Amino acid sequence: MKATPAKRAEITDLPKLGLGLGLRNTHFDHILNHWPDVDWFEAISENFMDSGGRPRQVIRKVAERYPVVLHGVSLSIGSSDPLDMDYLQRLKLLAQEVQPQWISDHLCWTGVMGLNSHDLLPVPLTEATLDHIAARVLRVQEILDRPLILENPSTYLDFRANTLSEPEFLRALCERTDCGLLLDVNNVFVTCFNTENDPSDYFDSFPWNRVVQMHLAGHTDCGTHLIDTHDQPVRPEVWALFSLAWKRSNGAATLLEWDGNIPSFGECHQELLKAKAYMNGGTAQLSGKYVPVPGALAVSNPVNFLVPDVMAGSAELEDR
Amino acid sequence: MQAALIEPQATSNQEIERRVRSTSRLSAATALGIYQNSYRLRIAACMRDQFPALCYALGEGLFNDFVAEYIRQAPPESYTLYDLGRRFAGFLQANRPDLDAPVPELWVDFIIDLARFERQIFSTFDCAGAEGLHLAQQTTRDSDLCVQPSLSLAAYGFPVGDYYHAVRQEKSPRPPDRERVYLAVLRKDYVTHTIPVSFAHFVFLQEMCRGGTVGSALSAVSQQLSQDLAQVEKAWNEVSEIRDSWINAGFFLDRSRA
Repeated sequence: MKATPAKRAEITDLPKLGLGLGLRNTHFDHILNHWPDVDWFEAISENFMDSGGRPRQVIRKVAERYPVVLHGVSLSIGSSDPLDMDYLQRLKLLAQEVQPQWISDHLCWTGVMGLNSHDLLPVPLTEATLDHIAARVLRVQEILDRPLILENPSTYLDFRANTLSEPEFLRALCERTDCGLLLDVNNVFVTCFNTENDPSDYFDSFPWNRVVQMHLAGHTDCGTHLIDTHDQPVRPEVWALFSLAWKRSNGAATLLEWDGNIPSFGECHQELLKAKAYMNGGTAQLSGKYVPVPGALAVSNPVNFLVPDVMAGSAELEDR
Repeated sequence: MQAALIEPQATSNQEIERRVRSTSRLSAATALGIYQNSYRLRIAACMRDQFPALCYALGEGLFNDFVAEYIRQAPPESYTLYDLGRRFAGFLQANRPDLDAPVPELWVDFIIDLARFERQIFSTFDCAGAEGLHLAQQTTRDSDLCVQPSLSLAAYGFPVGDYYHAVRQEKSPRPPDRERVYLAVLRKDYVTHTIPVSFAHFVFLQEMCRGGTVGSALSAVSQQLSQDLAQVEKAWNEVSEIRDSWINAGFFLDRSRA
């Protein structure tokens, strides 16, 4: 008698994890020494999948105590290059080791012709792109044997070729592939500001039944545009959006990203816990037009958490 | 769009306008410029993290200029930023400003050596290591000694290890004079160590890193230093301090316990 293949998990099977934090190397010691009262951690896949050193040791230990999610920045699902099978196999090995609740990446491309910009570049939102990406999502899901969760990126430009809105694109992608969505609430705000769209319209057409997770983060206001810097507290306007998103997503797992000028674990945790007020119908207002208040020159740095200070305090010179 | 990131000057405003919509606040070129600037500045920031001593030696402005030219000539190829600096020392060597000079400039040689060393130490941080494996003990037999996975050896024309660690300790070191040094770098208990060794020790350890045994490593020392093999073996057996210190530092695994 043939064994029945195990049924692949569907996004409706995925748990509501509560409030989580990004697993960053600057917080490793604090986490291992204090085992803080956090619901779950999100680990950047690329930070751990090739590690033969401490990061790999840390994620193993963390995964023994907390639910863990793997979040990637290099899948490049929108690229015209073939899928990187070596990358996917390494990701799968890491997943087998830490048993993440799910694996996510971004609706973007990072490079073509074998190059990598280390940025999350926007895809033209067209039917042709949809066909291309849907086929790749199906293949990735087959390889990973689990649904892929895709995040809306922050964008700074609007292609003339676009024929679909981002929510329309994501809805169609979910329908074709059964993938799930990671709604980055800050990215919605940043993208809508930069492309002169209304976040309320974005939310109204978003496929909420596919949302597995949400991201919160701070951005930098450059006057003419906003940049997704992840280097400061969440802005009030984004908290207001989160309040709506929490209800519409029916309480999807929520994570705070803080990747530049990272404060202590305690400060990050306090910022995360502010979400509780907004889950209960917080007071921030979404009404009225957002008025930009320019800050310092900022750099979009969606992947800067991969390397900075990685060796701080970990190198010694022996005496001769 | 990728071409516009790598070679911003090669993309005309007309081409950008044809593909990107302007908004009331941002022209198409300015919007694309956000990505172009971010690409350059992001890579430079990551390279500064991977080469902190080189950045200190050159000054941040010059370091960033080198990085900009580096990624123009050799754009990143890997999905991981850990790979970003892999070709940097080679780039500096190939583009050294004294290529036509009769004698290599000391300063240029130092910069290239420092880049090589910083790559060596950065790679050691997260490579496969001995954690979780059986390190050799003083009682381990010579025939059971093999090098641990993270150990690497390199020769330099300057004391780059001293310079690097002085920068990390914010001691503001001055550029050093020429001095031939041999450095072993390894990781033990997740801490990366730089250990200066002699030329003979360098030859010995290099042979063992190639998969050699203590016996073949002693033969290599005998050949390279033109010394009688019996004398070399005698020295190894009679002077145990070196063996002991290397074992204490975590150079070797005990292959009988693998």
